Amino acid sequence: MNAAPSPSGSTRRIPFERLPVRRIILVALSLAIIYGVVAGSAATLRLGQFTGANWRQLVINGVARGSVYALIAIGYTLVYGVLFMINFAHGEVFTSGTYAAYFVAVGFAGSGFLNTHPLVSIAILLVISMTVSMVVAIVLERLAYRPLRGAPRLVPLITAIGASLFLQYTMRGLFGANVRSYPEIDVLQGTWNIFGTEILRKQAIVIVSALVLWIVLYLVVAKTRTGRSMRAVGEDREIAALMGIDVDRTIVATFAIGGALAGAAGILFVFVFNQVIFIMGFLPGLKAFTAAVLGGIGSISGAAVGGLVLGILEAVGPNLFLTGAAVPSPNQLQPVVAFGILVLVLIFLPGGFFGAAGDERA
Amino acid sequence: MKRSRTGKLLLVVAAFAMIAAACGGGSTATPDKCTSDPFGCVEVKAGTPITVGTLLVISGPNAALGQDSQNGVVLAADYLDGTFDAKSGQIDGHDISFDNQDDGCSAEGGQTGAQALASNPDVVGVIGTSCSSAAQGVADKILSDKGIVLISPSNTGPALTSPSQHQPFYLRTAHNDKLQGAAVADFAYNELGARTAATIHDGSPYADGLQQVFADTFQQLGGTITAQEAIQVGETDFTSVLTSIGTSTPDVLYYPIFAAEGALITQQARQTAGLENATLIGSDGMTSTDFLNAAGSAADGMYLSGPDLTAFGGDQSFYTNDFLPAYRAQFGADPAAVFHAHAYDATNMLFAAIKEVAIDSKGDPATDSSGTIFVPRTALKDALFATSNFPGITGNLTCNADGDCQTTATIAMVQVENGAMTAPVWSKQMTLGN
Amino acid sequence: MIRRKLRPGVIGGAVILYLALIGMVEAFEDRFIISNVIGLGTTLVLVTLIGTGYLASKPAEEHHDPPALAGLVTGAFAGLFIAVCVVILEAMLSAGIQVRNVFVSVTPGLLNVLEFGAGKILGPILLVIVGAALGAAAGALRTLAVEWRGAIVYGLSMVLGISLAEPLLVGVIDGLSIPSDWLYDAARGGLTVTGTIITLVAAGVGRWFWLRKRDTVVQFRAHMPDDRRRKYSRVAAGVIIGVLVALPWIVGTFISDVLGTVGLYVLLGLGLNIVVGYAGLLDLGYVAFFAVGAYATGVLTSTASFLVTSNRDQFAAHGFLNFWVALPVVVVIAVIIGAAIGAPVLRLRGDYLAIVTLGFGEIIRTLVLSDWLAPYLGGAQGLLRVPPAPPNSWNLRDPRNLYYLIMAFGLIGALVAYRLKDSRVGRAWAAMREDEDVAEAMGVSVVRYKLLAFAIGAGVGSLGGVFFAAKIGSIFPNSFSLLVSINVLSVIILGGIGSIPGVVIGAFVLVGLPEFLREFGEFRLLIYGAILVGIMILRPEGLIPNKRRLRELHVADQEAQMGELVTEEPA
Repeated sequence: MNAAPSPSGSTRRIPFERLPVRRIILVALSLAIIYGVVAGSAATLRLGQFTGANWRQLVINGVARGSVYALIAIGYTLVYGVLFMINFAHGEVFTSGTYAAYFVAVGFAGSGFLNTHPLVSIAILLVISMTVSMVVAIVLERLAYRPLRGAPRLVPLITAIGASLFLQYTMRGLFGANVRSYPEIDVLQGTWNIFGTEILRKQAIVIVSALVLWIVLYLVVAKTRTGRSMRAVGEDREIAALMGIDVDRTIVATFAIGGALAGAAGILFVFVFNQVIFIMGFLPGLKAFTAAVLGGIGSISGAAVGGLVLGILEAVGPNLFLTGAAVPSPNQLQPVVAFGILVLVLIFLPGGFFGAAGDERA
Repeated sequence: MKRSRTGKLLLVVAAFAMIAAACGGGSTATPDKCTSDPFGCVEVKAGTPITVGTLLVISGPNAALGQDSQNGVVLAADYLDGTFDAKSGQIDGHDISFDNQDDGCSAEGGQTGAQALASNPDVVGVIGTSCSSAAQGVADKILSDKGIVLISPSNTGPALTSPSQHQPFYLRTAHNDKLQGAAVADFAYNELGARTAATIHDGSPYADGLQQVFADTFQQLGGTITAQEAIQVGETDFTSVLTSIGTSTPDVLYYPIFAAEGALITQQARQTAGLENATLIGSDGMTSTDFLNAAGSAADGMYLSGPDLTAFGGDQSFYTNDFLPAYRAQFGADPAAVFHAHAYDATNMLFAAIKEVAIDSKGDPATDSSGTIFVPRTALKDALFATSNFPGITGNLTCNADGDCQTTATIAMVQVENGAMTAPVWSKQMTLGN
Repeated sequence: MIRRKLRPGVIGGAVILYLALIGMVEAFEDRFIISNVIGLGTTLVLVTLIGTGYLASKPAEEHHDPPALAGLVTGAFAGLFIAVCVVILEAMLSAGIQVRNVFVSVTPGLLNVLEFGAGKILGPILLVIVGAALGAAAGALRTLAVEWRGAIVYGLSMVLGISLAEPLLVGVIDGLSIPSDWLYDAARGGLTVTGTIITLVAAGVGRWFWLRKRDTVVQFRAHMPDDRRRKYSRVAAGVIIGVLVALPWIVGTFISDVLGTVGLYVLLGLGLNIVVGYAGLLDLGYVAFFAVGAYATGVLTSTASFLVTSNRDQFAAHGFLNFWVALPVVVVIAVIIGAAIGAPVLRLRGDYLAIVTLGFGEIIRTLVLSDWLAPYLGGAQGLLRVPPAPPNSWNLRDPRNLYYLIMAFGLIGALVAYRLKDSRVGRAWAAMREDEDVAEAMGVSVVRYKLLAFAIGAGVGSLGGVFFAAKIGSIFPNSFSLLVSINVLSVIILGGIGSIPGVVIGAFVLVGLPEFLREFGEFRLLIYGAILVGIMILRPEGLIPNKRRLRELHVADQEAQMGELVTEEPA
C-alpha cells in the first residue's frame, strides 16, 4: 500500500471514475474505423482490380454527385442558419421545380425547339424550375412554418415531415406514380477531353454550374444587404428586429434563395439522370442534409464542402474500402460507408468541418 | 360497501364477457352443398353484387405496379359482357364489386390487408398479392384459414408453391422464378454464347430470387458468374457498381429489376469502362414503355425476358388489338409492367370457377335469373385447382396441386430496337420440375 | 361586400380544384356515403362549399354583413370558380388536348362527378347554384341558436363519420350479433337511407339536449360530493377495463390485428418517449432498435435460422431457443447495442445527434438487407418461419389472443415509464433536458444518464421488434425504413411529448386510423401528412400534453403577459 503523496497532494493510484473511459472507447472506435478503412483500401489496391482510369472516373463522378448534394445542402443550411429548423420538405421543393420544368421540356422536345436552341431551352428550363421551387418554398414557409416560429424545435420538425409527405403525395396525385423521362438534349451527350481524361459533358456542366452558383450565393450572403440581414437574424433575431431589419421579409428571402438553389439543383440532376418521379427528392434531400451536417450546419462553405466530400465518399468509398475485404456486394453498403465516416468525423469534430467545435446550438 | 362495489365491477365485466360469447351468426336456409362444405358458402343476395377482393400494392414507391395489376382486374370484369366498354359485366345476374386493400409490399401490410378481407363475409376470392413478402406465411395463410382463395398475379418466389410451404387456397398465375431465370440463363449461354455473366438485384425478393436462379442455372450450364451485386431502390447513380462489375468484363449483365433503376443502369452501363461490349438483359419488371422512354437510345440492343403475351390461345391479335387499346382508353397510359396481364387471367379464372360452382337456393347450378346465389368455398377452390388449358393472354393455364398455374410457361426474349420492343427473337417453353 | 367575399370564394373553389386534380374526388366517388344516393367524392365537394360559406360568413367587427348573404355570395364565387374550371377542362378534352399527360386525374369520369352528372352545360350552372345555396345555408347556420346549430352540424358530421367508419363498426356490430343491415348497405357500402335518417335524428337530438343541458350537467359534476364522484369513476374504470378485456371478441380479427399494431407502436412510443421526451435526446433512428429486436428474435427462434441449419431435426418444431427464453436475451442484446450507439454521440447536440442517429438507423437497415450478412439474416429474401409465441395452445397467431400479450407488455412498459419519470433517474433527465451544463455542474453525470436513456430506450424498442416478429412470422428488411422512425416520433409528439396516455392516443390516431382508412390507399400518406401539419399548427403541445411541458411551451406567452403587466402605465 504505497500511496505516497506526490508533491501536488494527489495519490499516485488513479481512482476509476477519473479514467476517461468514454474517451478510451471513442478512441478505440475511431482507430477501429480508421484501421478498417486503411486496411481495406490497401487490400483493394493490392488486388489491382481497378485501374487508375477507373478511380479517376469514380472521383469525377463523385464530384458531380457531390455538386448536386452541395446545392441542395446549401438550401438546408441557409434555412437552418436563420431559423434553426431542419426543413425536411426541402427535397420536395427540389422535386416540384423539376416536374414543372419537365412539362415544358417535353413541349420543347415535341416541337424540336429543344435541340435547335439548346442553350435558350436550358436557360428557360432553369428559370422555370428555380421559380417554381422558389414559390413552393415560400408558400411552405408562409403556411406551415410561420405559425410555429416560437415553438420548441421538435414541432417544426414534425410539421416539416408532414409537409414533405403531403407534397410528395400531392405530386403523385397530380402527375401519377409512373417514372417520367426527360427528353435527351443532344448537345449534352458525349464527352469532353479535359486534361487527358474523358469527362461526360453532363458531369462537367453540373460541376461548373454548381461552382458558379456557389460563388454567386457566397457573394450574395457576404456582400448584399439581404445576406447581411440573413446573418443578423441568424445571430440574434430580437436584436436584429430592434435594429430595423424586417425579420419576416428576411426569412422569406432565405426560403426563396434556398428554393431557387434547389430548383437549379433539380435541373442539373435531371441532366445527368433524366428521370422525374414523385419520390425523387427524398434520398437526395436526406443526403444533402447529411452533407450539411458534415460540413457544419449553418455554414455555407461547410455545406458545399460537405456535399463534395459525401459525393466522393459515396462514389469511391465502397469500392475502395470493401472490395479488398472480400465483402460481397460492397456497393450495397454505401450508406454504411457514408454514415460510418460521418460518425467518425463527428466524434472528433462535433460541429462538423466548419461548425465551431462543441457548438452549443442545442 | 366494498364488496358490493367489487361485485358491481365483476357484474359489468361478466356482462361483457357474456355478450362477447354470444357470437355466431344465425344462418338462413342454405342448400346442402353449403352445410357440407367445410368452409361454407358465400351468400350473394339477389340484387347485390359479387364481391371480389384485391390485395395489391397501391401506395408507396411500387404503387405503379399494384395499380397496373388492379387495372387488369377491372378490365377482366369489364370484358365479362364480351366487350371493353368500361362497364363491368355480370355473373349469374349479379354485378361485380371490388374490395380493394393495400398490401404495402410488406409482410405487415399483407397481414393487415388479408385480415381486412378475411373479415368481410362477402368476399368470394382475392386477387393478390403484389409482393411475395406480403403473401408468404401471412396473406396466404390467413386467407387459406378462412377458406378464401388467393390468386396472385405477380408473386414469383418459388417458396410460395413449394410442397412444404404451400397454403391450400393459394394459387398464382405469375410464372415461378425458376422458369424465367432458367430461361434467361439458357438464352445467354446457348443462344448468345456468353460464358461469363454478372448480375445486379435491387433488394427485393423478386429480383434477388430471379438473379439467383439465373446464376445457378448459368453455372450449371458451364458458365462463370463474375459478380453478383446489389443496389438500393431510389438511388440514381450506379457508376460505382458498374465500374466494379466492369473490371471483370462480363459477356452478359443481367439485372432483373424495375423501370426506374433499370433505365438508369442501362444508360450508365453504356458509359462504363469494361461494359461496352456486354449484352444487357432485363426481365419483366422492365417490359414497359416507361422503361423504354426512360432508358432512351441506351436500351437499343438489349434483351428483355417475359411471358410471351402474343400467344393467346391461338388468337394472337387479341392482346394488341383489343386489350391494349382498351387499357389505354380507360387508364390513360400504357401498362407499367406485365403483371396486368397475369391479373387479367387470374380474374378470368376466378370468374370461370364462380360460374362453374355457383348454385341457387335449391342447390341447382345458378343462372342469370337465380336471384340469390351461393358459392361454396371449397368447391370454388377445387374448381380453380382443376383449371386446365384455360386460355389466358399469358398462355394456356393449367394449375397444379401446389398452386402454380403457369407450370408451363413460354418465356420469350424480345430485343429493343429504336426504342421499342420487337417481336420475340427467341422463346422457349419451360416446364416446372425440369 | 361582394368584393370582400371574392377571395374566400376563390380559395374554396381552389380547394375543390386541388381535390379534383389529385384524384381524390373521382377515386372516392366509388365509396357511397349514403348508398345509391351520394358518394364520398361529391360529398367532399359539398363539404368544401359548406365550409367556405361558413368560414366566410363569420361576423367581423368592421362589416355587418348578414351571414346568410355573405355565405351565399362566397359559395357562389366558389361554385363559379370550379364551374369555370370544369368548362375549360371540358373544352380542352373535346379539343383533343391531352390534359392527362400532365394531370393524370382529369378524366371524363371526374368531370362527370363535378357536374353532378348533369352534363357539360347544366353541370357548371348547377355548381354555381349549389355553391350559392350551400353557402347561404352555412351562413344561415350562424344565425341559429347554439343548440340548433350544434345539433345540425353534429348530426351531419355523425352521418359522415358513421358512414366512413363502416369497416370498423360493421365488425363491432356483427360481433355483438346485432344485425347491421338497417344501418349499412353491406354490398354496396354506405349508409342506408333509413340508417341516415336515424343517425341524423339521433345525433342531432342528442346534441341538442346536451347543449341545452350542458351547464346543468357541469354544475352537477362540480357539486358532486367526493365519495359519490369516486364511486362513479370506479364504475367508469371498471367498464373501460371490461371493454378493453372483451374488445377482441367484440370487434373481430381485423380490428384486433390493427389494435395489435397499435400496441406495438405504443411500446415503441414508450421507448422513444424515454429517449426524446424524458432525456431530451433527438433520436431519428429509433427503427434500429426495432430491427435489432425483430431480427434477434428471428435468428434465435426461427426454424429457418442459420443457428439451426446444421441440426434440422432437433429444431424442427421450434427454433434454437424458446420464445420466452429468447426474449430477455434479445432485450439484453438491444441494451448493449443501445449503449454502444450512444457512446460515440454523447458529445453531440441537437440536430447533429439527429442526423447521426438517423444514420445508425440507415446503417442497420442496410446491414439487414445486405448480401454480406444474408447468410445470417436472410438478406432480401427475409427471415422466415418465425414461430408464434408458445405455448401453442394459446394460439398466439390469432390476433385476438396476441392482443392480450401485447397489451400486457404495453402495460408493463407504461408502468416502467411512469415509475421512471418521477424517480431519481427521471429527475436527472429533466435537469439534463433543461440545460446540460448546469446539470453537469450540479453533479448530474450527463454521460451516465445519456447512456442510460439510450440503453433503456433500446430495450423497450426491441420489445416492439420481438412482438413484431412473433406477430407476423416473416421479417423483411423493408419493414425497417426511416418512415418507421418518423412514425414513432410523430406518435409521441402528436400525443404530447413525455406524456404516457399521449403515446397511446397518438398511436391510435396515427397508426389505427390509417388502417381504418385503408380503402383510401393512395391518399393515406397525403392525409397523414396533412394531419401532422394541421395538428402541429393547431395544437403543438400534442393531444394529451404533459402539464410541465405545457407550461414550458407557453412560457413565451406567459413572459409576454408578464411583460405587459409590468410595462402597463399606472392608471
